[in-house]
Amino acid sequence: MSELTWLSKSRRPRLNLKNPLNVHNFDDHNIALRLEGSAKETLEQGRNRLVMAGVVFAFCFVILAGRLVGLALSGESDRAQAFPEKSDQRPVTYADGMRAEIRDRNGVLLATTLKTASLFAEPKNVMDRQELASKLSRVLEDVSEAMILSKLSSAKNFVWLKRNLTPTQQYRINALGIPGLHFREEEKRFYPMGALVSHLLGYTDLDNLGIAGVEKYFNGQLSGSKETAATDLNLSIDVRIQHAMRDELTRHMSMFRAIGAAGMVMDVQSGEILAMVSLPDFDPNRPNDFSGDSKFNKVSLGVYEMGSTFKTFTTAMALDAGTIGLHGGYDATKPIKKAGFLIRDDHPKKRWLSVPEIYMYSSNIGTAKMAIDVGPKKHKAFLSKLGLLEKPSIELPEVGAPILPPRWNSLETMTISYGHGLSVSPLQLSAGISAVVNGGAYINPTVIRRDPAVGLVARQVIKTKTSNTMRKLMRLVVEQGTGKKAAANGYLVGGKTGTAEKVEGGRYKRSAVVTSFVSAFPMNNPRYVVLAVMDEPKGNAKTHGFRGAGWTAAPIVGRLIARIGPILGVMPVEEESETIKRAMFVPINSKGKKVASF
Amino acid sequence: MKMNLTALSLLLVAAVSYGLYQLSYEVQSLEKNLAALSKSISDNRETIRILKAEWAYQNRPDVLQSLATKHLPLLLIAPYQVADLEQVPENVIALSELVAKNVPLPRKKPRRTYRSPKNKPLGSYTLATFSKAGGVQ
Repeated sequence: MSELTWLSKSRRPRLNLKNPLNVHNFDDHNIALRLEGSAKETLEQGRNRLVMAGVVFAFCFVILAGRLVGLALSGESDRAQAFPEKSDQRPVTYADGMRAEIRDRNGVLLATTLKTASLFAEPKNVMDRQELASKLSRVLEDVSEAMILSKLSSAKNFVWLKRNLTPTQQYRINALGIPGLHFREEEKRFYPMGALVSHLLGYTDLDNLGIAGVEKYFNGQLSGSKETAATDLNLSIDVRIQHAMRDELTRHMSMFRAIGAAGMVMDVQSGEILAMVSLPDFDPNRPNDFSGDSKFNKVSLGVYEMGSTFKTFTTAMALDAGTIGLHGGYDATKPIKKAGFLIRDDHPKKRWLSVPEIYMYSSNIGTAKMAIDVGPKKHKAFLSKLGLLEKPSIELPEVGAPILPPRWNSLETMTISYGHGLSVSPLQLSAGISAVVNGGAYINPTVIRRDPAVGLVARQVIKTKTSNTMRKLMRLVVEQGTGKKAAANGYLVGGKTGTAEKVEGGRYKRSAVVTSFVSAFPMNNPRYVVLAVMDEPKGNAKTHGFRGAGWTAAPIVGRLIARIGPILGVMPVEEESETIKRAMFVPINSKGKKVASF
Repeated sequence: MKMNLTALSLLLVAAVSYGLYQLSYEVQSLEKNLAALSKSISDNRETIRILKAEWAYQNRPDVLQSLATKHLPLLLIAPYQVADLEQVPENVIALSELVAKNVPLPRKKPRRTYRSPKNKPLGSYTLATFSKAGGVQ
C-alpha cells in the first residue's frame, strides 16, 4: 500500500477501466492498483452510487442557489399574494391592553386611560437632599419642600414622591437632571369633563377596575379579556345638554338654597337619556376627596314621593279606562276625610272642577275621586304597566327599587293618585311620562346610544288618543295652570308640577319638600321629556317666599328648554298662531264661574 | 474543463454567499427599522391619546361657556333668532352700485338654480379673496 501516497496528478493511482485486458501488463508503471474479479465489481458499484448521490446533491444545491440568487436580486416572493395591498378586511382594532374609552353620543371623550409617569426616589442615591427638595418643589407646586425632605430622610430604599405626573412636569423634572430620581410608568383613568358626567360614568379603583356607574356596569367590555379586545363605549349622553342641565340646576340650587337637585332629559322616541345630573356631584378623577352623599345618584338610585306629577298618570288612567271623559268632573268643594287622613287641595277652588281643571289646578280631591272610580286593582295594574312598581332596568349598577305601600286599598289608591305613598326614582317618572306623551308606548330608558336602524321594543300602555289628550292637558298646565314659569316661548312646553313633603321617620316633614317639574316639548309632537327635581328648596324674596314646584322647579325647565331647543334641532313655532292654538285646544268646560256669579 | 468547473462553482458559491449576506443584512436593517417604526407608532398613539384628552379637557362646555360670555356678545337664543336657510333673505345688491365704489362683489347664495349674471360689469369685477398680507383683495 506504499503506492497510495499523494503523488503528482499524472502519477495518481487511477483505475484503468478502458483496458481491462491490460491487467497483466506489468510494464505499465502508472498502474498502482490491480483489481480483479469481484473486488473490481464492488468498487465499480460504489463509484456509481457515489456519482448518483453527487448528482442528486448537486441538483438540490443548484436549485437552492438559484432560488437564493433569484430572491436576492428581485426581492420579491409570494408575499405579494399573502398580503395583498388592498383587502376587504377591515383593519384590526389596535389592542394596547388599556381600558377602553367612553364617549358621548357625538364622540366627545368622557373617559380615557393615559400612561402617566410616577416619580419615585432612591434616598440613598440622592446626593444633595436640600437642593433636590427645593428644585423639585418648584416643579411640583402641590408638594411642599418640607414634605419632600421628610420623605427623602426616611430609611427606605424607595419612596414615591408624586404619582401620575403630567407630561410637562415629567419633562421639567427630567430637565433638572438630578440623580436618584426615577419614573415608573402607570396607567391612570382620566375624565376630561370632570364632575360633569360624574354619576353616570362612575369611577375606577387604583387597579383601573370600574367600581361605580357605567364603568362598573360595562367593566368587562371596557377592560376586555383574553379572548375579546376592549371596546369603546358610546353613551347616549350629549355633553352640551348635560352641561346646560347641570348649569341650570346649580344656579337654581344656590338660588333656592336647596340641599340637592336632580334632572334628566330623555328622548321619548328612543328612550335614550341625553342628560342625567344629580347634585351635589363629585369629580371622578379624585373620588376619594368627596363624601358618599355626593356620590349618590339621585336620578336612578334615589326614590322619592313625587307628588302631583303623579296626577298625570291618574288622569291618563281615568281617561284611558273611560271612567270619565274630558267633559266630566268632580266636586272639589270639601276635603275628603278617610281613615283619619284629610285630603286637601293646595290651591283650593272650592267648587266643582272639570277634568282639565283638576289637572291644571292640581286638585288632590278631584284626582283622588278620579282614582277611586277606576279602583285600586286597575290603578296598581296601570302603574305597573308604566314600569313604576318594579326596579327599572338600565345600564347602571346604582338603581333604586320603588317603595310600595304595604297594602293597596282605596286609601292608598287615593294618596298614590296624587303622588304620596309610593316612592319612585326620577328615572322611572321620566320613563313613565315619556310613555304618556309619545303616543302611549313604553320604551325602556337607556344610557347607551341606540342605533336608529335597530328596531325598538315598545310596549303600548295607553291609547294614542289618550296620549294626545294628555299632551294638551300638560300644555294647559304651562299655559294657564301651576307651571307658567316653565314656558319657553316657541317650544310649546307642557308639564306638571309636583310638590311633596319629605318623609322622615315615618312622618311627613312640613319644613322640607321635594319639588319637581316634569315636562315634554314640543307638545304638538313631543320629542324630549325634561325633568327637574329640587331637594328641600327654600322660598326667597323673588318667589314671595313660596317654595312650590311652580316657583322653584318650573323655571329651571323653562330656561333649560330655551337653551337646549336649538341644540336639539327643535324648530320654534309661533305659539299664538291659529294652527298651534287649534292643535292645542282643550275644552275646559268650567261650571265654576256660574256658581261664583250667584 | 475541470478547472473551469471548479472556478465556476467557486464563483457561484461566492456570488450566492454574497447575495445571502446581503439579504441577511437587509433583513436585519429592515427588522431594526420595523422595531423603530413600531416604537414610534406606539409613541404616537400615546401622544394622540394624551392630545385627545387634552382637547376634550380644553373644550369642556363650562370653559367654552365662560369664554363665550367673556368674548362674544351672545346670550340665550330667543326663538325668533332661530331660522332655517330658506328663511334667510337673499341680499340683492345692484351691480352698478358696487362698480362705482370698487367694492368686492359678494357671490349669491349657492343654490342649484344659480346662474351667473349675464351682463357682467366692465372694469373691476372680482370676487372677494383674502390676500396674504391679511386684507381683502
